[in-house]
Amino acid sequence: MSKKTKKYSIEQKEARWGLLFTIPCVVFFAIFSFYPIINAFITSLTDAKVLSRTREFVGLKNYIYLFTKDNGGFSLANSMRATLTFTIGTFIPMVVISLIIAVLLMQLRKNKYRGFFQIAYYMPAVLSSVVAASIWMILFDPRGLFNQFSNFILLTSGKDYGWLVNSSMLQASTMIVYFWKYIGYFVILFITGLASIPPTIYEAATVDGANRWKTFWRITLPLLKPTVLLVSVMAMLQCLKTFSTQYMFHQGGAARQPIDVITMNIYFTGIRNGRIARASAMSIILFVIMLVLTLLQFKASNSDDVEY
Amino acid sequence: MNKFVGKLTITEAIVWIFLSLVLLFTILPIVFMLVASFMDSKQILAMPFSWIPSKEYFTSSDRTFFTNFIKAILGNNNNAIFFRTLFNSLVVAITVSLTTVFLASLCGYGLAKFKFKGNHFIFMAIMATMMIPFEAIMIPLYMVTSSLNMMNSYRGLIIPFLVSAFGVFQMRQYLLTFPSEFLDASRVDGLGEFNIYARIVLPNCTPVIATLGILSFRNQWDNLLWPLLVSQKETMKTIPLYITKFSEEKQTDEGAMMACALLASIPMFLLFGFLSKYFLGGAAVFESRKG
Repeated sequence: MSKKTKKYSIEQKEARWGLLFTIPCVVFFAIFSFYPIINAFITSLTDAKVLSRTREFVGLKNYIYLFTKDNGGFSLANSMRATLTFTIGTFIPMVVISLIIAVLLMQLRKNKYRGFFQIAYYMPAVLSSVVAASIWMILFDPRGLFNQFSNFILLTSGKDYGWLVNSSMLQASTMIVYFWKYIGYFVILFITGLASIPPTIYEAATVDGANRWKTFWRITLPLLKPTVLLVSVMAMLQCLKTFSTQYMFHQGGAARQPIDVITMNIYFTGIRNGRIARASAMSIILFVIMLVLTLLQFKASNSDDVEY
Repeated sequence: MNKFVGKLTITEAIVWIFLSLVLLFTILPIVFMLVASFMDSKQILAMPFSWIPSKEYFTSSDRTFFTNFIKAILGNNNNAIFFRTLFNSLVVAITVSLTTVFLASLCGYGLAKFKFKGNHFIFMAIMATMMIPFEAIMIPLYMVTSSLNMMNSYRGLIIPFLVSAFGVFQMRQYLLTFPSEFLDASRVDGLGEFNIYARIVLPNCTPVIATLGILSFRNQWDNLLWPLLVSQKETMKTIPLYITKFSEEKQTDEGAMMACALLASIPMFLLFGFLSKYFLGGAAVFESRKG
């Protein structure tokens, strides 16, 4: 503490209480966030297994193993592919469609209608992901409703699209579940962003003779750019962590290979097979990917702020 | 935005049709869960599917109105573990939301209203933990939990989630706008610092508290991954684990599975019914994170 605080005891008192209020959380995060990630990194450099108490330092061997070997049929490369396919296949449609829905919702004349739609779209997010997955598992059955619906839309009759069997359909299925569950959530994020654009700007545009289409491309979208960026990165980060749907589908009988996202591989490698060190290496890889994306988000949101 | 009051224009009609289609997409699976929980497998997977459970399924000799629900509750070996898992989930979710609100408001208040050396550093450090996904630290946490003998215990289920960095952030941002004059006035009146927090600050934070409490409750109600690692004993399982296990063993009984899913969703539906404002508010607060 500087000399100044000695002179003014009231400031010293303030500092003491401030620390006192923050210390419990600081201790918690030190033990349950920082320590484990450091621990994961150190473990990833050893040969630790669940059953053996001793561990030896092996350097980057786990990482080399993961990048070159197939990890008993469920390689890191496959997990990266599954995770990236899922992430890209989910977050892009999610952001685009929720933006469209939000813009259309803003066109409604009464707030009452908008509120109704928002709540209805948000309903799936209220259910837990396990419940969501179990509903869709039945819908995706060859005799299930969604398969019937696909037949109806694609003008086929009695065709089995293999939603839970065919490997690319299985991936699509997990994306549909996720999309269904979170679409309402992202609509609300965009509504909040849209509502913060002052109406005077639209009035000015209308006076200048811009139609709705032009208004959207020239005014709404540029002003909404920070929100779009933020929501995209958020959706991406969330998709990278997906676990429940894939796990449920796999437990329900679907093949693991096509939907073996990285979190699922960490779980199976570390917990089911007891390869702690290898799973820790995968955790660190997941952490680095997410760290890079988060830093990109910060950069994007700082450099690109819009003033109304 | 729309200044044309009067007739429904074609654009508006298209907007309504599109929005209604999305509505069907989001709502129908939930309605499906509801009606399917009263049906048997044959009717659930009938082609074409009929949305109204037919009478014969309730009146046939081996089925009553509640057959699926009874199956869902009794489980596969009639040990009726359902209520126990429901109780476990409630204990974990309620405890976590209480501790999150308490610790996050305490820390957020400290960071927002007290000047001290390291304030900014602490805030940045807590924000940095948001970049550490739980999925990346679950293995070390699992090792620690098992070495501390906290497997299959409420402590093991709860302790890693006592407070969230996002909660601290939310509280701090909210309290930054709280007028310091109130606090100073209470200090002049001779109120102690902790009393100021408990009697002045907390009662003025109800919207954030509700949002944060609901968010934490929901996250725990939804949590599958951590209980999957920690709860190996039947009696310590939580609701998501129960549904997972149930769907594995009862693969053929879709009706009971839907009944189980419906029962597990009732607490969330109730919360949403009464407090939907804070659910939607929670999403909106998240958006303001860019500020």
